[in-house]
Amino acid sequence: MATFHLKVLTAERCFYDGEVERIVVRTATGDVGILPGHVPYTAALGVGGLTVIKDGQKRVAAIAGGFVDVSKKETVVLARTCEWADEIDVERAKAAAERARANIHHKQSDREQDIAQVKLKKAINRVRIAEYK
Amino acid sequence: MASGNMKDIKRRIKSVQSTMQITKAMELVASSKMRRAKERALAARPYFNTMYQTVRRLSAETRDGDSVFTRRRPVKNSLFIVIAGDRGLAGGYNANLFKLAAAEIGDKSAKIVTVGKKAQEHYAKRGWQVVSDYPGIAETMRISDTHTIIDEVIALYRAGDVDEVFLCYTEFVSPLQQEAKCIQLLPASFDKEPQAEGAQGTKVLTEYDPSPEAVFDAIIPEYLYGVLYGAVVESYCSEQSARRMAMEAASDNAGEMIENLNLSYNRARQAAITQEITEIVAGSGGVGA
Repeated sequence: MATFHLKVLTAERCFYDGEVERIVVRTATGDVGILPGHVPYTAALGVGGLTVIKDGQKRVAAIAGGFVDVSKKETVVLARTCEWADEIDVERAKAAAERARANIHHKQSDREQDIAQVKLKKAINRVRIAEYK
Repeated sequence: MASGNMKDIKRRIKSVQSTMQITKAMELVASSKMRRAKERALAARPYFNTMYQTVRRLSAETRDGDSVFTRRRPVKNSLFIVIAGDRGLAGGYNANLFKLAAAEIGDKSAKIVTVGKKAQEHYAKRGWQVVSDYPGIAETMRISDTHTIIDEVIALYRAGDVDEVFLCYTEFVSPLQQEAKCIQLLPASFDKEPQAEGAQGTKVLTEYDPSPEAVFDAIIPEYLYGVLYGAVVESYCSEQSARRMAMEAASDNAGEMIENLNLSYNRARQAAITQEITEIVAGSGGVGA
């Protein structure tokens, strides 16, 4: 089966570097699947999942922020945060979700409200991804 | 008198020795911290290189002036983000950076954001207009720590409180060489990508979702987070290697001082013994006669 080169980078480490058959990634406007020979494409990422399919094996990661850049040579995902489903500490993610939920109900500035909303979204996403596998 | 002199020298040797112990320990600590900081800086590089390439390509494809981040406007106020260390005793590390920052600021009307305790103290003491301080974050820096800083800077920039943003940091060239640097963050300008000469003639058309401008505006903050993270990591690495070098020099000097003091100590001891013998001989000569 045809493959293409995928690189997933975060500021802290090189998350993935190798040949894959297909990926599905959550962009700001929705899930986008990328197959070999995709046209050059760039989009900002939202909060969601990154599915990497290699040799028919599926691997899922939680991803938040950053962007994806498809070029002829390779596909690069630059993520703000990224972790494999099996690396996620579900208890911690659940606790974070609880904390964010509590924060939202506090009366506070719009900015803090926004931050709490985003945190909640990320935490829920991590729980969802962790339980998906 | 001679024995008093010996005692003095002995005391000085002890004091220099204990100082040397401290500088030795600091040298070892700094070099192990530097090793870790260097690994972190190297792990971050591929991310930034790719980030920079993509942003540069994007900026070439969007016209200047389309985005609030690239549009130039008359400069009334400038913002300087100054990254210095949290501690002193790092040779010229902090001083060099402040000197460069002062030269870059010149007579501009400048606001300052400080990272590091030393920068905070420096600008507070001199009565600069400091917007905010972020002391003590460099050692455990994570990319998420940059969000509050950059979001604040972007808010100021969007509101028109500042019209340009600079970043002063220290680049880690090698363990023996660090270089204070100042770069412009906003408005963002990139060298145009050199066109591949006669390769295909046609430009690759990239599809942007939803539009180049929207993608560009979403990526610029990511880019700034990345640049700031990289600058803090590099600066921290530079600080540790500057400290290691300074402490190595201090230990060497202390060793040299101890050697000299030992020499004078032995000389004083010899002089005391000689004097004693002379006294005894003179005394016994008196008795014999």
